[in-house]
Amino acid sequence: MTYLFKALLVLSVFWAGSASPALALDVMEVVKKANHVSYYKGDDGRAKVNMRIIDDQGRERLREFVILRKDNDQTDGGQKFYVYFNKPADVKKMVFMVIKNMDRDDDRWLYLPALDLVKRIAASDERTSFVGSHFYYEDVSGRGINEDNHVLVEENDNFYVVKSTPKDPKSVEFSSYKSWIHKATFLPVKTEYYDDQGQKIRSYTALKVEVVSGHPTVTSASMEDHRSGGKTVMNYSAVKYDVGLPDKIFSERYLRKAPIKYLR
Amino acid sequence: MIHISETAARKPKVFFWISGLLSLLMIGLVALPSVWPSTYSMLSPLQIDTDPENMLSVDEPVRVFHNSQKKEFSLYDMVVVGVVNSSHPEGVFNKKSLGDIHALTEFAKKIQWQDKDGKTQGVISADLMAPSTVDNIEPGGPGEVKFEWLMKEAPLDDAEALSIRRKAQNLPLLNGTIVSDDGKAVALYIPITAKNVSYNVVEALKSKIAEFSGDDQYHITGLPVAQDTFGVEMFIQMAISAPMAMLLIFLLMWYFFKKASLVVSPMIVAMVSVIVTMGLLVVTGNTVHIMSSMIPIFIMPIAVLDAIHILSDFYDRYPLYKDRKKTLQHVMKELSAPMLFTTLTTAVGFASLALTPIPPVQTFGLFVSIGVILAWLFTITLVPAYIMLMSEEAFADFGLDHTDMDNNSPLAKALNGLGRVTFRGAKLIILGVFALAAVAWVGIDRIVVNDNPVKWFSADHEIRVADRALNERFAGTYMAYLVLKGPDAERANLPLFAQGLKVGMQTHAMKPLNEMASEVDGLLLNARDRDQLIALLIAKIEQHMERVSDEDWTAWDDALTWVGEYLSKEEIFKDPQVLTYMSDLQKYLQTTGLVGKSNSLSDVVKTVHRELFMGDEEAYRIPGSRSAVAETLITYQNSHRPQDLWHFVTPDYKKTNMWLQLKSGDNRDMSALIDKVDQYFLDNPAPEGISHDWFGLTYINVIWQDKMVAGMAEAFIGSFIIVFIMMVFLFRSLWWGTLAMIPLTFTIGMIYGIIGLIGKDYDMPVAVLSSLSLGLAVDYAIHFLVRSRELRKNYPDWKTTYVAVFGEPARAITRNVIVVGIGFMPLLAAPLVPYKTVGVFISAILILAGVATLTILPALIRIFEGLLFKKERI
Repeated sequence: MTYLFKALLVLSVFWAGSASPALALDVMEVVKKANHVSYYKGDDGRAKVNMRIIDDQGRERLREFVILRKDNDQTDGGQKFYVYFNKPADVKKMVFMVIKNMDRDDDRWLYLPALDLVKRIAASDERTSFVGSHFYYEDVSGRGINEDNHVLVEENDNFYVVKSTPKDPKSVEFSSYKSWIHKATFLPVKTEYYDDQGQKIRSYTALKVEVVSGHPTVTSASMEDHRSGGKTVMNYSAVKYDVGLPDKIFSERYLRKAPIKYLR
Repeated sequence: MIHISETAARKPKVFFWISGLLSLLMIGLVALPSVWPSTYSMLSPLQIDTDPENMLSVDEPVRVFHNSQKKEFSLYDMVVVGVVNSSHPEGVFNKKSLGDIHALTEFAKKIQWQDKDGKTQGVISADLMAPSTVDNIEPGGPGEVKFEWLMKEAPLDDAEALSIRRKAQNLPLLNGTIVSDDGKAVALYIPITAKNVSYNVVEALKSKIAEFSGDDQYHITGLPVAQDTFGVEMFIQMAISAPMAMLLIFLLMWYFFKKASLVVSPMIVAMVSVIVTMGLLVVTGNTVHIMSSMIPIFIMPIAVLDAIHILSDFYDRYPLYKDRKKTLQHVMKELSAPMLFTTLTTAVGFASLALTPIPPVQTFGLFVSIGVILAWLFTITLVPAYIMLMSEEAFADFGLDHTDMDNNSPLAKALNGLGRVTFRGAKLIILGVFALAAVAWVGIDRIVVNDNPVKWFSADHEIRVADRALNERFAGTYMAYLVLKGPDAERANLPLFAQGLKVGMQTHAMKPLNEMASEVDGLLLNARDRDQLIALLIAKIEQHMERVSDEDWTAWDDALTWVGEYLSKEEIFKDPQVLTYMSDLQKYLQTTGLVGKSNSLSDVVKTVHRELFMGDEEAYRIPGSRSAVAETLITYQNSHRPQDLWHFVTPDYKKTNMWLQLKSGDNRDMSALIDKVDQYFLDNPAPEGISHDWFGLTYINVIWQDKMVAGMAEAFIGSFIIVFIMMVFLFRSLWWGTLAMIPLTFTIGMIYGIIGLIGKDYDMPVAVLSSLSLGLAVDYAIHFLVRSRELRKNYPDWKTTYVAVFGEPARAITRNVIVVGIGFMPLLAAPLVPYKTVGVFISAILILAGVATLTILPALIRIFEGLLFKKERI
C-alpha cells in the first residue's frame, strides 16, 4: 500500500490540475491508451535500468542493463527490444533481443558472450522469469491487449479499474488481473494478479513517475510475488525518447557486436 | 515400624484423603489448561512433542546450524507422496494416472489455511515439486533453447505421458527424484510450513486420493508424517498398554495373595504415583515426548514392587500374630531399610539419566526417579493404612494353614530345590557364571550402534510400507545436506585488500586501469568495506567514461568489467574449478553405495550447458570460465522457477548446498557416509580452502545418537559407583556391598551380550536400558542379602540358614520377578517398536536379575561364608 500511496503522491504532484473530467470511455479505449503510454511512447526510446532482486530473506541481487526500443510504425503493433547487460560483471555484454510480432509469437534471442552462443528462445511461454527477477518476459515487452477480455469494474476520480480475464486461461498462471489506470496519464500504476481462489499472487506497482520529453514515464516500479515473498525493483535512468535508433541494430549481427554508440 | 507408616496406620483415612486430593489437584491442574487453554493460560497444558529434533536441546549448535541452513537455502520439511502402478506396463506413465497426479498436485497447491494468528499454514505451493510444477529445459528447433512446464496439463494420451517421462529422465535433477529409477513411478515433494501441519495436509491429500478410481497406489511418507503418526500411536500406547499393565499386575497379585480386596492397595499406590508424577511433569511445563510417554508404564510395576514385599511378608506373618497391627509392625521393621534402599538405588539409576545430554531422556529419568520416590512414600503409608482400614475379620481366612500350603506350593518346592542346588553346586554355578560372562563378552564386542526413527514403526505399518516402496524405486527418501563454503572473507583487512587492488591495477596491461590505480588510496578514506570501495571505484570510472570517445570507450568498459569482477572472485561457487571439484565429489559419493543420488549446483550448470548446446552429451560438463558458468546460471533463471537455484547456492555464491538422497535412514549408514566424506576431503583437498559441514534430519539423528551413547555410558558409570557406595554404606561392609553389585553386573553384561549376539541394534531404547536395569536389578540383591544376613543371626551356619532364606524371602523375590516382569509385557502390544523393545528387555532384565540373585548370591555366600560372616562369629 505504501508504494501505491507514493505513486499516487507523485502522480498528484505532476498532474494535479490537468485531470480532465472523466469521459465515459469504452474499456478497450482505456486499455489501448494504457498500452500505448506503457510501451509505445515516441518512435523509439532508451533507458538504463537498475534492477534489484530482493528475496524473502532480504537478500539482494543486482542487474544493470540498457534497454533500447524501436516501434515498427505508429499502430502500437510490432516493435523491437535490445537489452544489453552491464551487471553483474560476469554476464557483461550478454544481450537479450525481442522482435515483437502482432500476427505470431514473438522472436526472442539470447546472446551469451562467454559461451559464444546466440540462442533463440523458443516461444512456448513468455511467462517465465526475466533473468531471475520477479518480472516476466511478458512484463518487459508487454502483454498483447487482445489476449484478455477486459471489463471496467470501477471508475473513480483518479482511476479506471480494469479487470482482465485471459481468453486462454491455460496459457497463464493467473486467473485474472486488475489494473488501476490513472485517468490523466493512462499509466497503469498498479496491477494485481489473482489465482482462481481470488488470492493475490503477484502485484506490480509504479513507484515513481517523471515526465521525460513530454511523456509521463514510470521511472521506478516493483513487482512483488506474494507466494514466494520476494520482489524486484526496477529503476530507470537516462531515459530518452526519439533517439533515432536504426533498424539494423536489432539483428543477430549486432548481438555479437553491440552498438556502443546507443548503449553508453 | 518407621514413624510415618505408624502414623498412617493410626490415621488411615487422613492419608487416603491426602492422596486422593493430591491426585484430584494434579488432574485439575492438567485438565483445566488443556481443555480451556485461554481461560487458564497461566497453567501449562498437556503438550505432545513428537519431533525427533527435540532429542537435542534447542540451543545445541548442530541444531541451530540445521535450522539456519534450512532457512538460508529455503528448505522445508516435506511430505512425500509416491505414486506406483504395478498393473500398467508403463507404471504411472499413462494418461489416466498422470491425470490423477496432475489433479492431486493442483489440489495440494491449495491446501492452505489461516491459523489463529492469521498466518498462512499448510503447503508452500511455490516450492512444491511435481511433474506439473517443474520446468523442462531442452533444445527447441535449431539454435533454440526451450523452457516449458514439464507437464503443464494432464496428458491427452498415453504417448504424451511417455514423452513426459522421456523429458524428466533426461534431466538429472528430476530423474530418480520425481521419476523413479525404473521410470514407472512418480513422487511429489510437498513442502509444508511446519512439521505440525502435516497431519492436516496428509488427511486432505488422502481425501482427494480417495476420489481417484484408478489402480494406482499412493504412498505417503516423509519424516513429518512419521512424527504425527507417532504422536497418535503414543496415545494409544498410553491408553492401552498402561491400563493393561495395571490389570495384569492386579490379576497376578490376586493369584498370589488370593485376596482381591487386599491387592487393591498396591493398585491405588501405583495409580496415585502415576497421576501425581505425570501431573508434575505437565504442570512444570514439560512436553510428553516418546520418552516421557513411557513414564507411567515404568512407574507402575516399580510402584507395586515394595507393596508386594509388604504384602508378601504380611501374608506369611499374619498367621503367627493374628493381629493386623502387630503383623504390620513386624513387617515394616523388617522391610523399611531394604525398601528405602531399593527405592533410593532405583531412583539414583533413573536420575543418572539426567546426566545424559538428551533433554527428553533427562526429563524421563528425572520424573521416573520422582515417581519411584513418590511410590515408596505412598507404599509405606497407604498400604499400612489400607490394611488398617480393613476389618480384622476380613483376615480371618487369611493365611489359615496357608503356611503349610505355601510351603508345599509348587513355587515353594521349586525354591527349596533351588536352594539346595546353590548350596551343593556353588562352585559349578560360579563356573557357569564365568562361562556365560565370556559368551556375553563376545556379544558385547559385536554390538552395533544404530537407530532409525522410521524403524520405530513396526515393519507392516503403512509408513514402513511406503518407506520401502519409495526407496526401492527412487534414489532415496532420506535427505542429508552437505554444505560447502569458502573461508570467511577477512572483512576487517580493508587496507590490505585496497593495496592488492591497487597493485593489480598498476601492473595490468589495460591502460585505463593503470590510469585509475592512483584513485584507490583516496577512495579508501571513504570506504567502509570492500564492496563500498569497489562501488566507489566503479562510480569513478563511470564518471570518467562519460568523457571518453567512442573509440576509447570499449577499453574503458573492459576496465570497468575487470574492477566489477575483482570482487566477484569471492563468489567461489561460480568458479569452474570449484564446480568440478563438487562434481567429482558427487561421482565419488555415488560409488560409496550409501548415496542414492546427489543434486548440486554443478548438476544445474552441466544440464543447462548441455541443453544450450543442443542436448549434446559431450556438453554435459562444467564450462571453462567463470563468465560461462555465470551465463548458464542466468539462463537457468529464465525458467518458471528461478528460485530453485537458491536451494543449491546462496545468492552471493559463497556457500553451496549439496542435496543427498539416501536410501537408508540408519544412523550407521549416515555415520559411514560422514566418515567417507571426511576422508575424501583429506585425500582430495578442496580448492579455495573450502570446508564442509552437514545438516538435515538424517544427520541430526546421528548427532543425538552419538551424544546419547556417550552420555549413557557416563550416566551408567556414575550411577554404578553411587549405588556401590550406597551398598557399602547399607551393609557397612565392602564385601557385602560388592556382593550386592554382582547380580546387576551380571544381568547387564548378559543383556548387552544377548543384544550383540542376536544382532539387535543398540538404539535409543536399548541405551536407556542400562540405567533401568541398574536401578531395578539391585533391588533383588538388596532384599536377598538383607534378609540373608538377618536370618543368619538365628542360625549357626549358612547350611541351616539358606533353607530359611529360600522360604519366604525367596518367595517374595520370585513373586516380584513374576509380577513386575510380566507387568511390563503389555508394552509388547504397543504399535511402536521402541516400546516393544523396552518391554521385552525390561522383562528379560528382571527375570535375569531374579535368577542371578537367587543363584549367584547364595553360591558366593556359600563359598565365601567365612569371609562374609566373620564379624557375626565374634
